[in-house]
Amino acid sequence: MIEFKNVNKWFGKLHVLNNINLKISKGEVLVICGPSGSGKSTLIRCINRLEKIQDGEIIVNSSLVHKKSSNLTQLRGEIGFVFQQFHLYPHMTVLQNIMLAPVNVKKISKKEAEKISMKKLDQVGLTGKSGAYPAQLSGGQQQRVAIARGLAMSPEIMLFDEPTSALDPEMIGEVLDVMVNLVSEGMTMCVVTHEMGFAKKVADRVLFMDEGMIVETGTPDEFFDSPKTDRAAEFISKILTH
Amino acid sequence: MLDDFNFRVIMEYLPQFLIGLRSTFLISIVSIALALATGIIACACRISGIKIIKYPAIAYIEIIRSTPLLVQIYFLYFGLPTLGLRIPEIQTGIIALMLNSGAYIAEIIRAGINSVDEGQLEAGISSGLNYVQRMRFIILPQALGVTIPPLLGQNIVLVKDSALLSLISVMELTRCGQTMTSERFMPAEAFFTVAFFYMCIYFCLKAMADWSQRKLIFREAY
Repeated sequence: MIEFKNVNKWFGKLHVLNNINLKISKGEVLVICGPSGSGKSTLIRCINRLEKIQDGEIIVNSSLVHKKSSNLTQLRGEIGFVFQQFHLYPHMTVLQNIMLAPVNVKKISKKEAEKISMKKLDQVGLTGKSGAYPAQLSGGQQQRVAIARGLAMSPEIMLFDEPTSALDPEMIGEVLDVMVNLVSEGMTMCVVTHEMGFAKKVADRVLFMDEGMIVETGTPDEFFDSPKTDRAAEFISKILTH
Repeated sequence: MLDDFNFRVIMEYLPQFLIGLRSTFLISIVSIALALATGIIACACRISGIKIIKYPAIAYIEIIRSTPLLVQIYFLYFGLPTLGLRIPEIQTGIIALMLNSGAYIAEIIRAGINSVDEGQLEAGISSGLNYVQRMRFIILPQALGVTIPPLLGQNIVLVKDSALLSLISVMELTRCGQTMTSERFMPAEAFFTVAFFYMCIYFCLKAMADWSQRKLIFREAY
């Protein structure tokens, strides 16, 4: 469903993605972790071309994402993206935030979009909040709205870029719960996160990155309990003791 | 001192002042409208990634902002005719104010657009919204709010700058003051009156801006 072939990317002289080869199949839940600056956010941002790559190929659902000429509007509709900082539109209500893309990109009627949006709000546990503005919500609620906004386009893939890193500890659980529910619905997901509990519970595969390279991949149990590389072992011990 | 202040002569010259006020007001309104249009177009060119329209826009903005308005007015009024292009005073004045203010307005709007968080744009991009839709639904509604106060400031500057048109003999407010001074030699009365009328225009503009701000801007609810 998502395939990286020999992908390379540089920010100036910094080699942020170093010869990445990766296949993610339908329904798979992939957790990406690694120290900051290791290229994990950049990796998932390439999937819907929020970042351009300089070398290699990225193929998503048979669309050639790396090609300049590819029209990505439709593809982007099929990929939901959740940011660390939520990035809700502060001048719109929760409902307007969620409806914006379905109405304007998918061109479905407002009535229909509202129905879908309400359903998605139910799904993330925010039934009564459709009329609220983002600033009236807690961080955890805002992030759940952001997830509902992604889901409203009925995506086949959801990408999460450190979805809980900007949250107070007590709100992390409510967001992770929503994500766990998504997994049980069979969503294909790529999650950049250091939440080991989440990874162990739902991930099919953990991918460890460092300095732009995929250092190690494995099932969560393999990776966390018996990492193959010293670099991964060091990283795991650090996130466990912090 | 106040005994020397002659209100009678002000009343005598009032019809002339009102003509001057009308002229200043009309010149300002037309210039503001044209300057807004110029500013929006210049800003759109400036932020577009297309080089052949981006660089001329930058050149225009920088040339205007680096030279005095009076020099720009003199160039248009005295310079252009020697190059074979003759435009009447009022039109020259309006063009000068339009070009001058347009450059500043372009930068004000650009600052407003840049003030919108990049992440919201990325959110828009990743949900498939195109450039025009991102502008219309995400950026402009928020940019408008932060743009109105500095735009008001720029428009007030324009009204006051229009006093410089007296130097190319446009019969506006300041010019009326000059005329009265030269005819009666009462500069205190003349320029007091002129100043008073500028204040009136200022408060009108301010009221308009306050009203539009209440109407147009979303208020973040807390």
